Parts: sequence; C-alpha cells; structure tokens
Amino acid sequence: MIKKEKPKERFSYDPKKIVKKLEEIGNQIYEAVREGRNPYIDVPTRGISNIYYDKKSKLIKMGKQTSRRYFLHVAHARKFMQTLLIASYIKRLVSEGKHASLREAYYANKHSIGGSKENTFEDQSESNPIIEDLERTLGVLREEMHITADRRGYIYGDITIQDGEDEFNTSRLGMGGWAVPGTVEHLKFTQINVDYALVVETAAMADRLIEEKFPKKQNALIIATQGQASRGVRRLIHRLHYEEGLPIIVFTDGDPYGWYIYSTIKQGSINLAYLSDKLATPGAKFVGMTMDDIKRYGLERVTEKLKGVPPNKKGGPTADYKRILEEMEYPWFQNKEWQRQFKLALKLGVRIEQQALAHKSLEFVAKEYLPEKIANEELLP
Amino acid sequence: MAKSEAKELFKEFKIQSVSEFFRRNAAMLGYTGKVRSLTTIIHEAVTNALDACEEAGILPYVRVEIEELGKEHYKIIVEDNGPGIPEKFITHVFGKMLAGTKAHRNIQSRGQQGIGISGAVMFAQMTSGKATRVITSTGDDVTLEAWVMIDVDKNEGKVVRKIRHKNREGWRGTRIEMEVKDVRYIRSKQGPYWYLKLTAIANPHAHIELIEPDGKLIVFPRGSEEIPDPPEEMKPHPRGVITDDIFRMAKKTRRNSIKRFLVGEFSRISDQKVDEIVRYMAALRLIKSVEEDKKREQLYERLANGDVKLILKGFGKRGKAVLRETSKIMEKPPEKLTWHEAEEIIEAFKYIKFLAPPTSGLRPIGDENIERGLVNILSPEFVTSLTRPPKVYRGGIPFQVEVGLAFGGNLTGFDILRYANRVPLLFDAGSCVTTSAVKSVEWKRYKVDNLEDAPLVVFVNVISVHVPYTSTGKQSIASESEIYEEIRLALMEAGRRLKRYLSGKHKKLHQVKRRKTLEKYVNEVAQALSILIEKPPEEIRTHFVNLIERRFEEAAQSEGGA
Repeated sequence: MIKKEKPKERFSYDPKKIVKKLEEIGNQIYEAVREGRNPYIDVPTRGISNIYYDKKSKLIKMGKQTSRRYFLHVAHARKFMQTLLIASYIKRLVSEGKHASLREAYYANKHSIGGSKENTFEDQSESNPIIEDLERTLGVLREEMHITADRRGYIYGDITIQDGEDEFNTSRLGMGGWAVPGTVEHLKFTQINVDYALVVETAAMADRLIEEKFPKKQNALIIATQGQASRGVRRLIHRLHYEEGLPIIVFTDGDPYGWYIYSTIKQGSINLAYLSDKLATPGAKFVGMTMDDIKRYGLERVTEKLKGVPPNKKGGPTADYKRILEEMEYPWFQNKEWQRQFKLALKLGVRIEQQALAHKSLEFVAKEYLPEKIANEELLP
Repeated sequence: MAKSEAKELFKEFKIQSVSEFFRRNAAMLGYTGKVRSLTTIIHEAVTNALDACEEAGILPYVRVEIEELGKEHYKIIVEDNGPGIPEKFITHVFGKMLAGTKAHRNIQSRGQQGIGISGAVMFAQMTSGKATRVITSTGDDVTLEAWVMIDVDKNEGKVVRKIRHKNREGWRGTRIEMEVKDVRYIRSKQGPYWYLKLTAIANPHAHIELIEPDGKLIVFPRGSEEIPDPPEEMKPHPRGVITDDIFRMAKKTRRNSIKRFLVGEFSRISDQKVDEIVRYMAALRLIKSVEEDKKREQLYERLANGDVKLILKGFGKRGKAVLRETSKIMEKPPEKLTWHEAEEIIEAFKYIKFLAPPTSGLRPIGDENIERGLVNILSPEFVTSLTRPPKVYRGGIPFQVEVGLAFGGNLTGFDILRYANRVPLLFDAGSCVTTSAVKSVEWKRYKVDNLEDAPLVVFVNVISVHVPYTSTGKQSIASESEIYEEIRLALMEAGRRLKRYLSGKHKKLHQVKRRKTLEKYVNEVAQALSILIEKPPEEIRTHFVNLIERRFEEAAQSEGGA
C-alpha cells in the first residue's frame, strides 16, 4: 500500500534570510566602491552549457559557471544598475510583506533615467531575466522574494492549510477545490489526512475523480496541474513530498507531452535548473497512461495517431516522433520500463488520452483503473 | 620709399626681341577655351600683383572684379596695393612680349615665361579691340591713367592715351581694367573662383577679394602677417640649362671672355672646371670624327667613365691641336659665341660631374604658412604640413616638395590642390605627377578608408627654378621619378600624422561616450544601493562619481604616456 513517508525537509520560509542576502550583496558593492575598486555582482551563467543531470540526487542541476557583472564596464553597467534596482525592490517587498507579479515588478521599476532618453527597463523582457538572475545569485525562489508566478492548478483532498490568517480544509471548498496561488512558500500544512497525492494532468480528469469521490474513497489528494505544472504547483508537490512525506503519483496522458509533464515534476526543467532543489520531486512515480494500458484495457479503438513523420519515413522524424526520440535520451528515462514505453509508442504510432478510459465507463477510472494500479504498485519509476 | 623700391625693381627690365609670338602661340600660353582664358588673365594679373608686393615687402591686398557686359563679354578689374609702376616702364610691363623682371633671371618665381600680363593685354585687344586701362601710382603726388595697346608688328607697347591726376590721398597701387570677349565665367574648378581660393591658401599673407558677375563678394581674408622673403636670384646650374639659355645669356653678359662668363654666371663652374670643359669639348670633337661606329661608341663610353685625358692622348698630335682650338673658344668675347659652340658646351656639361646646385634660392611657403592658409580658407578640423629638404632631379636641377593635409571640419569631399612655385595648377590634373603620387599613396593605412568620399584636401607645392612642366601650358608637372618619390614620402609622413590624429580622436570620443554611459546610471545605482544598505544616497553617489573620475584619469594618463 502507498503510505505517507517520513519527512525529509522542514518548513523553511524565512523572509529575513532573503533580506540579509540582499544586504550582503549591497555591502560588498559599497565596500568595493569606497575602496576605489570596480564593483561587481557574480551571476551564475544561464543556458544549457551550465546545466547537468546529477545522478545522485536525480535532479537537473546548475553548474558552477558564473559571469561577473561589473559597474565600470560599458556593456555591463546597464544590467548592473537593473540588478540593483530589482534587488532593492525585492528588499522592500519582502520587508513589507507584499507580493508582486512579474508585470507589476516591471512597472514598479520602469522609469526614465535622468538626463537621457533611456528607461531603466524598456520592456518586461528586460526585467524578467534580471529577476531570474537574482534567483540564481541568491539561490532562492522568485516566490520567496515575493514575486509571484502565474497561478494555475488546484487541489482537492482532506488536508488543512493555514494561509496567513485563514485556515481551511481543501475537501470542504466545493467540487472546484482550492486554487493553488503563485506563491506557496508561506503556506503551513496543519493537518494531512491523505495517504498520497495524485497529480492529474487535465482538469476534466481531476473533476471526474472528485465527482466519483475518489479522494475520499482512496484517501488521496488530487492535484490538478492543468497542463504543464506551474511553479506554485511544483513547489507545492515538492513540499508535500519532502515536508509531509506524501508519496507523489503522477497521472497524465500517454503521449510525449504528458511524459514531459512528469519529467518536469520529477527532475526539474532546463529553464529552472537552478531551482531543481526546490521545485523538483525525484521521488514521484508514474501511474499512467502507459502504452501497455491500451491492450490491457482494450482501448485500441480509442487511441489517436501520433502527429508528425516517423523516423523511418522520408523527412522524419518530426513532431511527436521527434519528441519521443528526444525523451528517450533523457538520463532519467534510462531504464527498462521507460525505454519500453517509448519503443512501444514508436512501434504502434499512437497516443492514448486519460479520458479515453471513459470508453469503458465514466466510473471506470475512479473505481477500477487507478485503485487497482496503485494498490498493486504498478507504477513506473 | 615705395618709389625708390619700384625704380630698383624696374631697372631689371630688359627687352627681348620676339614678335608676334602671342598671335601664333595663344593656346600655348594658356589662352585656350573660354573658361581657361579668363582664368589665365586673372592669373597673370594676380601673379604680377603678388610678385610685386612680395619684392617690395608689402602685405598684398588684391581685389578682382568681373563684370558681365554681354554674352561671353566681360570687364575684368584687378586692383592691388603694390609698389605701383613708374611711368616709363608702363609700356614695358604691359606691352612687350617676353619682357619682364624675371624672364632672364634664374629665379624661382610664379611666372616663368615673362609673357605675363602683356599676354592678357594682347588677348583683350584681340577679342574686344579695346585698350587696357591702367591706373597706377607709386605713392607720390601723381596718379597715372593710361590706355595701353600692343603694336603687333613692332612688338611694342603703345600708350594710346594718358592722363595725369593729382594723387591727393597718397594712394599707391595698380588697377588694371580690360575688356575681353569669347570667355566665360563659371564657378568650376577651372574658373577664377577656384583659382583665387587656391591662391589664397598658398599665400596666407595676401588678402584677396572677388566680386563675381552677379555682384556677389567673396573674401579670402589674410591669415598671416608674414611677408615671404623674395626669392634669391640663383646662378643657373650647368645641368639645368639648354643651348638657347647659354646662347642668350652670352649675348647679354658684360664679362669679357667666355671663360669669365662661364665661371661668373653659372654655379659650380670654377677655372679648373673650364679646363675640364675644354678637354671634353675637344674629346667630343675628336670622337665625332671617328668613322667606325663601333670604335666611336667605345670612345663615348670611355668618355662617360671620365677617361678624357687618355682619349686625347690616343689621338696624339691631332688631339693636341683640337685641344688648342677649343681652348681658344674660351678666350673669345662672349657675344662672339656661336650657336654651334654653345651646343658643344652643353654636350660637354652632360659628361662632366658637377657639384649639386645650391638650394638657397628655393623659397618654400613653409609648414606654418601652409597650415595657416588651409585653416584660414577651408576651416578643417585637422591640418598638418611639412616641407621636405631640397633634392635634385635630372642630376642637377634643385627642387623641393611641400605638402599639407586638411581633414574634416567644413570639408565635404576629396580634393588635390596642386601648385608649382605657389601657383595653383587647375588644368591637366590627370597627367600631373602630383595627381599620380597622391593616388599612389595607400590612404587606407592612414585611416582614410574611402579616399574619393573622404573630407580630405591634399595640398602639394613643387618648388624649383625650373619646374618640369609636361607642356608649355604649364598646368601639369612631368613625372620625374625624383619628384614623384619626394611627393610620396612627404605625403606618407603627413599621412602618419593624420592617422595619429584620427586614432587619438576615436579613442577620445570613445572615452567620452563610455564615461557618459557610466555616469548616466550613477543616480539609479546610488538610489537602489541606499535602499539595500540603508545609507544616504548622496554619500553613495559621491563614491561612485569619484570611482568614475579616477578610472578615466588613469585611462587618460596611460594614453598620454603611450
């Protein structure tokens, strides 16, 4: 049986830490300038060249390359200024206990520079990377710096959350569950009465499970990602797993996109490699859809063809086929089980959606498919 | 005082006998084409004015006025503040072909043929039929108004009408008015405007004004108060003369023997050299008498190697006899020198080694004055010039090259300003050694990437007692390899200076730009940092401003040291 495990991390949100880190950077620059040295900020390098897969922790991680951003350098000066601007803005946000979106952070810091036609930021595409730079430099999440990400996804199940002054049970908020906010850092889990969390790709499937009373019957928490999991949802999954010991089981469509959602939840993404420690959950497991489900549950007639040109055809591989071949190469998919899935998908040339299970009956997924597979631990690593 | 200067000057006048020269050679003298003829007239008048002022030590003020009277019909007025012309010399100055103060003098001067202003009088007379009106005063109490024409058959100037006025205001100078037809005023690079502009650049001590036919006044103001030293008269160098020169000079000299004439009126000829000339003349006579081609060629070769004494010995008694004959020539009075004997002397000159000629007679404009002229007239951003040391070409003719470069500022395009003895050359640019030497320089090396579009003016003045023109029009200098090389060397040195300036300028501009970029962000950075570290922004700002200040001081110092 899937059961709660022992927690490995503790609630660690501390706004003072962020402020201290920002002040350290400020002081280091001030000292340099006072002594007549060229001040700089070391920023870990962005980009694929500074990314690697750490086999031990099973995470995509950021390497040690940093680039030094000097003030007395014509090519650096503007970014140096922007970095300090955002840093001071974050210090204010955090000390005042306020949150801002990326867009708000952009507008709050955009103004014209005296004596020139230049603006501090010309476009949000200038401020977003500076915020990411600071995440990497400080080793903290954007959310910890009170910059919120887009919210997407919701949860439903018997857990009690304390959010500021509010406390609520996410199984008592109606069929729609509780929408996961952009920032989940400050949330406290006061009561956890579930055995595991089921992460569901589509809202339709999550709603189906809630209607069938699956969370109650199976003692599970439903987490609907609504496509690719947002940073808030990923951080929530991470915290539930490591701070509360909840096993994480992922349920997506049986196609390259679904598998990639799983991959991101489990190992982190290339874009946010520097945050894998906080966002990824390598302990997550995968319940479906698998290629084997098609035969096992007689779903052959409700499969869809893979898009694109297969690798053995002229011009191939493209689209889905290409994506599958790429995923086959991921270090964390280098195991018998997953290689078999990819090979089968390529051989059959089909994909299978979660909702295809409705072909059997509406209740089938909640009453037979999931309970059986989870009870028997028929899960992919 | 001015009067005595003028008299001194005009004592030099001597009359040469060539008649109807102009009628036949109008084209050769620069009176070809409607635009060029007009420029030539102005050139002759302005040159006369500048030369006269220079020799009298007067800062020149020259005013040129061109009035349009009808289609291709103009009145040209040139007025100067020069020493004025004494009455008895007026017909000589304006009426004689090949009469002038310089035709018979071996001197670096603006004109060389001595046709000068009388050619202009002739041209006016031929095209409009009108006499040239001259108003002049040497600064005494009389101003003379005279109408001058040329009697073509007698080769004589005639004053057809003459009025004496009282000179109440003590005016001094000369005003010439002539009416010409078959010419055209255009503001092109061959026209009077361009000619005067170039003249002004090369003569920064002169104030020059032009009133164009439409009434527009153009002033090329004086840029220097320094009157150039008048050129020194130089004795001709044996290598720089031709048969006609010797023949003509011999007719005029006051020396009583040819030997004295040669020693006295040429540079680098001593009594010993005359003995050498005699030996070479004898040897040449003897060699010419040898019938066998091969043997004759051998002898010429030996002569060129300096075996003159051995050759004479080889002819035995006959050799001694011929030597006696040629020695006798040297004792004759100079006016008895025959054309043939003059030829023999010139031929002997070619085989004899002479010391290079003295260069003291060359009068460069001078670096400073070229720069003044370029700055004054063109208003460039950068200017440099240099004068090379004198050199000789064709083994004996001294010359000197001066160049100037003007870059940027008010300049819009590329130009070559060519001069010979300070006189602008406006025509035949393509065949001129100056043009080819300028084009042969790799300007890219000196940070001038696209020469034809560069805001660059190249100034080249070739100075010599005898400038080797390609033709009698005197508008382009022949490609003597020594001159070509000198121009190139001078331009390359000037080019290096330009490059130094341009790269320094780029660096400086770059530094200023960099500094501005950094300074722009100081306020923002200070403000943000003050929030981060909770210190007053003014204090932080001061530290940043000092940091930038120090950094650019260091940069400036390391640059200055390099």
